[in-house]
Amino acid sequence: MPAIPFADMPDKSPVLSNNESDIVSRLNARLVGQGTKTMMFAHGFGCDQNMWRYVAPAFEAKFRTVVFDYVGAGGSDIAAYDAAKYASLNGYADDVIALAHALDIRGGIFVGHSVSAMIGMIAARRAPELFSELVLVGPSPRYVDDGEYVGGFSEDQILELLDFLDSNHMGWSQTMAPVIMGNPDRPELAEELTNSFCRTDPDIAKRFARTTFLSDNRDDLGAVDARVLILQCRYDSIAPVAVGEYVHRAVPGSKLVMLDATGHCPNLSAPDETIAAIKAFV
Amino acid sequence: MPRSKPLSERASSEGAAEAATDFEDLFESAPCGYLSTDKDGRIIRANQTFASWTGFTTETLATKRLSDLLTVAGRIFYETHFAPMLHIQGSFNEVALDLLTSQGRKLPVIVNAVERRDDAGHPAFIRFTLFVAAERRSYELGLLEARDTAQATVAAERADSELREQFIAVLGHDLRNPLAAIASGVRMLEREKLGERGRTVLSLMEGSVVRAAGLIDNVLDFARGRLGGGITLSRDASEPLEPVLRQVVAELRAIAPDQEVEAHYSINDPVNCDRVRIGQLLSNLLGNALTHGAKDQPVRVEATTNADTLTIAVTNGGAPIPASAMARLFHPFQRGDDRVRHQGLGLGLHIASEIANAHGGSLTVRSDETDTRFTFTMPLIVP
Repeated sequence: MPAIPFADMPDKSPVLSNNESDIVSRLNARLVGQGTKTMMFAHGFGCDQNMWRYVAPAFEAKFRTVVFDYVGAGGSDIAAYDAAKYASLNGYADDVIALAHALDIRGGIFVGHSVSAMIGMIAARRAPELFSELVLVGPSPRYVDDGEYVGGFSEDQILELLDFLDSNHMGWSQTMAPVIMGNPDRPELAEELTNSFCRTDPDIAKRFARTTFLSDNRDDLGAVDARVLILQCRYDSIAPVAVGEYVHRAVPGSKLVMLDATGHCPNLSAPDETIAAIKAFV
Repeated sequence: MPRSKPLSERASSEGAAEAATDFEDLFESAPCGYLSTDKDGRIIRANQTFASWTGFTTETLATKRLSDLLTVAGRIFYETHFAPMLHIQGSFNEVALDLLTSQGRKLPVIVNAVERRDDAGHPAFIRFTLFVAAERRSYELGLLEARDTAQATVAAERADSELREQFIAVLGHDLRNPLAAIASGVRMLEREKLGERGRTVLSLMEGSVVRAAGLIDNVLDFARGRLGGGITLSRDASEPLEPVLRQVVAELRAIAPDQEVEAHYSINDPVNCDRVRIGQLLSNLLGNALTHGAKDQPVRVEATTNADTLTIAVTNGGAPIPASAMARLFHPFQRGDDRVRHQGLGLGLHIASEIANAHGGSLTVRSDETDTRFTFTMPLIVP
């Protein structure tokens, strides 16, 4: 497995290394748009940069936009996967910081969906100069209930998920080779459909699920230099409203916007509303 | 399970209204579940088939979301992976999920979905078709378990084989070292003044060292061959082969000083071979002849080259090899139990044969009342 920068120093400020320019191709990062300020869009568990395909283009006129795939997802370099590094969200935050450095981002905007919201918080606390705004879409610092804290899931339920991932490969093996028929509504997608969306290596998906759903990152909330916007769906079975409100309380000065959209992916199901909420903030 | 209207009740010439009713019937009692949801997964309408599978009324279902009917694991799967895929691709097919019935029972299903969009291109609603797949899924799970078991077995065997390989390498190393110490001790003692008895013992010891070294070589080669490494050669045509063969003959003469060994060398061409291996081959053949041949008759060694072939022949007198033993003579662990004097593991001829093969040559045997002759031939030049 190739060496990965910062793999052994998750809690320190990153040091520039020769590998930094590689991070752009390793994470399959794509830059589009104009402007001196950069917006970085980060996807969550279960999908890839396609998560932002209806949202990111709306900002290209005003900002330089960056979308990317975490190692193990989409078009990333799967060979760069390091189980030890990515066992905590810190490992993913390493990559966000390295990518921001490689792209010379300072005072940019980080938009993170789902687990990426917490990855963005960690990156912002470790390298405050990178982002002046954080947009957290459907954030959850901990999915498992803990005393007074309501994460939305019992530990048994999460363990059931992990068992399900361990014992039932079907769901993932299907995602590796989805049988995708032509789509008469959107013929322009037909060419790139097969195997191109939300590709996930099954083994890495299991590990990412473990890292995502069993982590407790409540301590990574708190004051940050950046302005923080939280986008919360009215009904979200993955990140319930109570969790969004918890994040809002735990991040002083943050702004909470309740979206009319329901589900866990307003960036896909309600892109217009999501775009409007972000535009009003940035 | 809802029943469709018996065919006998149908008029042969059905009107348009009747046909429309049939479409309704097709929807409600189709042999698959139909669900329509809004773009966020709230159920708008479910058919009777789906209702009867899940144990909910169609009215109750219309207050739920598809994800409410999934196991927690399935729900997380669905919300984080399949729902995004549906929004991006506009459809998905053959997704495996578990529904939870009103009784809390799991119902494995295969799901297809299509997202429909309005004129403005915004998601409008989603149609799902579900098939019960209990047997198929349990069959697939069985296949997966079998695959996992097979993978685990292969991994365990690979680990075992690595351990064996390491064990053999360590064993060879560990055995050779003390043997080398004994050999050098014997050589030192040879320079001492010894009585007749001392010289005899020392000579026997020297022979045993040579024989033990040969056995270790054979065992290691056999083990490597079994582990897939095969016999590896380092060929070199520039160095002469004859001194190596002379050395082997001298060593074995020392082991059996009472037996006569006649050696004849006529190697006039360079031989592109692994000299150590050819020496090992001769050592095995000569050791075999000394062990099994008649003690009162000389063993003849002939090593010759002609235009394109190296031939090494070892001949001994004595009783012929029984016909029953001939067929498996070059197989490992053939010890010829009828022979009292036989010693060793029975690997010598097998390894000699493997060395011959590795050189692109052959090892053959001819045995009759007069004598027994092993003949090794190999091409001088590698094709």
